[in-house]
Amino acid sequence: MNRGAKIVIENLSQFFGSLCVIEHLSLTVREGEFLAIVGPSGCGKSSLLRILSGLAKPAAGRVLIDQQEVNGPSPRHNLVFQDHALYPWRTVFENVALGLEIQKRPAAEIQEKVSALLSLVGLDRFRNYYPHQLSGGMRQRAALARVLAVDPDVLFLDEPFGALDAMTRLVLQEELLGLWMASRKTVVLVTHDVEEALFLADRVIVMSALPGRIRETIPVTERRPRDRGSAHLAQLKRTVLGILGLEAVVGNARVPDVNFAI
Amino acid sequence: MADGTGAAAAVTLKREQPPWRADFARVLPYAVASLTLFLGWQIAAWIFPAYLIPAPGQVLARLGKELTRDAFLTTIARSFGRLAVGFALACFLGLAIGLLSGVWSFFRRWARALVSILQSVPPIAWVPLFIILLGFGDYPIVLVIVVAAFFPMAVSVMNGVEQVEGLHIDVARLLGASRAQLITKVYAPEVVPAIITGAQVGFGNAWRSLIAAEMVGGVNVGLGWFITFSGEVADMVGVMAGIFVIGSLSALLDGYALERLKRRLLKWKYV
Repeated sequence: MNRGAKIVIENLSQFFGSLCVIEHLSLTVREGEFLAIVGPSGCGKSSLLRILSGLAKPAAGRVLIDQQEVNGPSPRHNLVFQDHALYPWRTVFENVALGLEIQKRPAAEIQEKVSALLSLVGLDRFRNYYPHQLSGGMRQRAALARVLAVDPDVLFLDEPFGALDAMTRLVLQEELLGLWMASRKTVVLVTHDVEEALFLADRVIVMSALPGRIRETIPVTERRPRDRGSAHLAQLKRTVLGILGLEAVVGNARVPDVNFAI
Repeated sequence: MADGTGAAAAVTLKREQPPWRADFARVLPYAVASLTLFLGWQIAAWIFPAYLIPAPGQVLARLGKELTRDAFLTTIARSFGRLAVGFALACFLGLAIGLLSGVWSFFRRWARALVSILQSVPPIAWVPLFIILLGFGDYPIVLVIVVAAFFPMAVSVMNGVEQVEGLHIDVARLLGASRAQLITKVYAPEVVPAIITGAQVGFGNAWRSLIAAEMVGGVNVGLGWFITFSGEVADMVGVMAGIFVIGSLSALLDGYALERLKRRLLKWKYV
């Protein structure tokens, strides 16, 4: 095992019925690394995160975090969903406090920690609002704060900004980057957005669909904060899209197999 | 790090409305419905002789007199006591079984089968058995109320539990929730709307079964007994007074008390 390896994925496979969504996937994520995974729909990205976070069991293979096999969910490695999944009956404050409540922390500590987190994500003024009264970006911030409240070492993000408008997405990307640079948690981000991946990550994994396999690993060495318009990122984006585009061509090549004989 | 863009969108505009108008809007349908009933009743009273259908005025006058008598107040109080105990027990049992079936799938299938078999038996049909088992008095009536209100509660909570969002459960599991915490932090709040529906339906059943059981259950106090007794002595004014009390009390409890409870428990929906 290499030094500094936080997450080790060994020969992982997953099926939905007879459909193979992940095939023999092996991957190592370093301590403090920001890893992004991009790929077409159906490449098993979300399934992968469910396995990594312990919500689902793999059909074969195993996942080690800090050299310990992942057997179930744990607050130490936590997941933010695309759908914020805030509890509609709880205020923003109460939603963020959920994890600490579950850990039965004293009320004073909850009050202090949650207040600090709410100001960190800029939701101070909205602590007593219910989720349905918030904008999409604010909800996603609250969802992130809820996960950060239990102070996980590893953060899994399943298209966290996928449902947001382009402007809000940019703002939240900056905020996420700021949080990561301050905390240096290990982050695995699954996204459809190639630019987002290249802007944020140390490494971008490009996956193929059905079965989900790693196609290519692209290191992004450019120093942060990165310029979204830089020539280097543009070049990398072309490369990634090329890899993903190739996939589409291969997919299309199968179409003529279907003969509509009259 | 906060951006101002989301802030403006989040400030929801509340329509300013004097509170009495909201109350008025809620009470108006009840007032109109009551008027309709009174009108129909009055017309029937004009057509039929007074010893068959007494006029509303006559019944209200009698009611005013009855309400000053201790015996009548005791009658109402006893009915209420039976209802309160039976309905509370039914709610508790229905809730417990409904929630338990949410976390234990074999239990759920067992409970569903049991409910579908037993639900079709009218609660009142149990009266003879309960009287033999428990003797005359409050117990068989309370038990009938439990049977009447339990099923709607249990079924409604079971359905509510099945509709709990998977993601909400995942979130709690990821934060390290135990099974007990899943129940208290996710299932229970998420099924509150279903609980309220179950309570409302169950309450209607409980109330009807209470009166029916008091009519046939061999007791000598209670609203149902009061109506049967008045009928036996051909006191139609008494019968109508009893029916009037039943109707208005249940409207008050269901339409006012339970409705307020609902708004209180689901206050996040009404913000």
